[in-house]
Amino acid sequence: MIYYVGSFGLIIIGLYIVLTKRNLIKVIIGLDLFETGIFLLLICTGYVKGGTAPIFSNAKLTSALMVDPVPQALVLTAIVIGVATLALALSLAIRLYHHYGTLDLRKIRELKW
Amino acid sequence: MDISNGVNPALLIAIPLGLTFAIPLCGFISKRIGEYIPILGMIFNLVVAITLIPRVIREPIIVSLGGFPPPFCINLMADPLGVFLAALIALIGLMISIYATDYIKKGATQNYHMLYLLLLVGATGIVLTGDIFNLFVFFEILCISSYALVAYDGDKPGIESGMKYLIQGTVGSGLILMGIALLYGKFGTLNMAHLAQNIHSTTPLSTFLPLALLITGFGVEAALFPLNAWLPDAHSSAPSSISAILSGIAIKMGVYAIIRIIFTLFGASSLFHFILFLGLFTLLVGELAAFRQNNIKRMLAYSSTGQIGLIIFAFGLASTLGIKGALFQMTSHALAKALLFLAVGYMIYRSGSIKINSLAGMGKKMPLVSLAFAIGVFSLIGFPPFVGFSSKFLIVKATLAQHDSVLTILLGFVLLATIIEGAYFLKVIQTIYFKDTAQQTVQPWQGTSLAALIPICILMVLIVGIGIYPEVLSKILNAAAGMLLDREAYIRNVLP
Amino acid sequence: MRKIISIILLAILTIGVVYCLKEIPFGETQSQVRRYYINNGIKHTGATNIVTSVVVNYRGFDTLGEVTVLFLAAIGLSAVLYREGKRQKKEGRRSSLILYTGCRFLFPLILLFGTYIFIHGHLTPGGGFQGGAIIASGFLLTMLGCWKWGGVNKIGFKITESIAGLIFVVVGLLGLLYGGYFLFNYLPKGVPNELFSAGIIPIIYVAIGFKVGSELSGVLDNLIEES
Repeated sequence: MIYYVGSFGLIIIGLYIVLTKRNLIKVIIGLDLFETGIFLLLICTGYVKGGTAPIFSNAKLTSALMVDPVPQALVLTAIVIGVATLALALSLAIRLYHHYGTLDLRKIRELKW
Repeated sequence: MDISNGVNPALLIAIPLGLTFAIPLCGFISKRIGEYIPILGMIFNLVVAITLIPRVIREPIIVSLGGFPPPFCINLMADPLGVFLAALIALIGLMISIYATDYIKKGATQNYHMLYLLLLVGATGIVLTGDIFNLFVFFEILCISSYALVAYDGDKPGIESGMKYLIQGTVGSGLILMGIALLYGKFGTLNMAHLAQNIHSTTPLSTFLPLALLITGFGVEAALFPLNAWLPDAHSSAPSSISAILSGIAIKMGVYAIIRIIFTLFGASSLFHFILFLGLFTLLVGELAAFRQNNIKRMLAYSSTGQIGLIIFAFGLASTLGIKGALFQMTSHALAKALLFLAVGYMIYRSGSIKINSLAGMGKKMPLVSLAFAIGVFSLIGFPPFVGFSSKFLIVKATLAQHDSVLTILLGFVLLATIIEGAYFLKVIQTIYFKDTAQQTVQPWQGTSLAALIPICILMVLIVGIGIYPEVLSKILNAAAGMLLDREAYIRNVLP
Repeated sequence: MRKIISIILLAILTIGVVYCLKEIPFGETQSQVRRYYINNGIKHTGATNIVTSVVVNYRGFDTLGEVTVLFLAAIGLSAVLYREGKRQKKEGRRSSLILYTGCRFLFPLILLFGTYIFIHGHLTPGGGFQGGAIIASGFLLTMLGCWKWGGVNKIGFKITESIAGLIFVVVGLLGLLYGGYFLFNYLPKGVPNELFSAGIIPIIYVAIGFKVGSELSGVLDNLIEES
């Protein structure tokens, strides 16, 4: 239960940072926190009480004692996608700083209605 | 691999992907080879998709990747809707890649072509897959390549709109992943058919939140009403070939994902009224906002928003005729918008400025391109010999066939939006043809290059041709609409 | 004003998710595919690490998509950060002798560790992506600590990336030829718990390890040069 609260708390904190902070780097960090919370939530859905890693290191383990391998595979993929997005975001932030000289989101509003 | 039965649909995704990985290697031989590889890839895709169409109308092809039985592996579901959209993607992609061989001159051009081909691979993967996490992965491929391509030019508006698009798109993708996590936690499977089978085994309220999260997440990319703040900036600051592919294909993929989830996965018939109203609202807001624009690309971007609203309105009708109209409208909008953005690209290059007043007098200086622009505009508004007329007429017919007075009132609003659209577009046509040139040109001119004229001419011919003879698409659209509405058939096809 | 609206939206989201999570008890998973994968994993694929067999074999198409996304990030980064002409090298602070020697000493050990992890992906926890990330961290260490080093060999990295990606796609296509399914496991499965077992899984993981290592190092190199 505490795991659900923890992961969901990370999601809420990440979303709050993205919605309200003004500094661009803080917004990117908030995106990262948001995604980390989602990964934790995904892994929590696969937990089995008293289970261990799904590797047959000795041949006597059965399926009742292993946690679910599928969310772990999903999170592997999702982490890589998150890293790719973050790398692109950081490169755009470098370019944006080069053009505007500031990272304050209120000043980067050249495109109007 | 039995060629007698036709090509395996997995090749539609695998071959362009392999070609993308090969582009840097070919780049060592000659710098310009990279420009022709997307053209090769899209020709292959177009040919394969068109040859697959007769087969899938008879019976959908299920391809299991890895050789295991369906709920335990990822499967590709090549049904008429998927293969038709794959053919559309290949056609528009081919046209724009021919245009881009001459239009993209500065910057890292090899990277541009790799990103472009990967965007098309992502779009093809979305329409062919039968597994919800695979849908998410290919959706991310589409989104990330479009973030990088919007910022390709490296100038101030491009980078700023790229950044805003990235932040909003990533939050949307995170919401999609949260919805998938909740679905997996509740039902324990990721296969779409398996989920569709089990979705009603629990209380409707507990499946409501994953549905809401998924629609919101995909709605960011599909540009539904409150979530489309990124679209005018992104489509107007990107290079013109990228605006064309984004307006033509990328936002339709968001709509396809939402439709697949609502119709096939959840079967949520109570949501049809909601998306009807949402579509209408998006349409009105988009058209009204486009009316006040002075910047031609921003006007076209707002018009895209409006047309997506119309497509979603037509999907909300949820009858065979309505869905057929929506798919036809998707096709006609993709063709017309791509043509408009390609033509505008060269006109802007010639006049040096984005404002509408600077396009004055283009009718005499660039007659062929202005003719293309006029044909695109007339097709979008819905004048008779063009394909836009057939698609809008089908939607009107579908609405009236429901015999519902509320729907008829809504239809009145749709026609009002069409009139507004006609007003602002005809204003642009008047500026192009009937006003005299106000300022000197910026660039010395040798005539529009051949690589730009070929796709423009082909698109013009297609718009007029399909407009005069719409029956050529009628069989495949009927099959696609029937397949979308029939959930049981989808489940029966995949699971034994 | 913005803060109030965002707090209200987040509160609505919280209530919805709490209601939904009450239905999913923690610790008893409702997964229907789990038993199939764990019971038949070794028989179908020969790998003792079930997560690896899920990632590469049962859901191999997702892994292909993931490799593509990483490729996209590297290309997008170099497209956005592209600059015409030469940049002038900025002189940073020189690191001390101890730091320099330590980095030079650690670099091959880190590479060895990363290689160990992705070669044994089907037997122990880990695999291509984890091993590749460790290799990239080794390169990062030398970029930061060894000031005499000229920089990575960009052309070599590009060739490695492309060839590794092509190997993955070609292995899948060969599976189509031999077995009739894309990404079919057609090599002999061998005895479980040995290094040469599990069919095409080690080949794919080695390709992924090289690809991820060279891509992440290229990304880091682009970012460091830009600043």
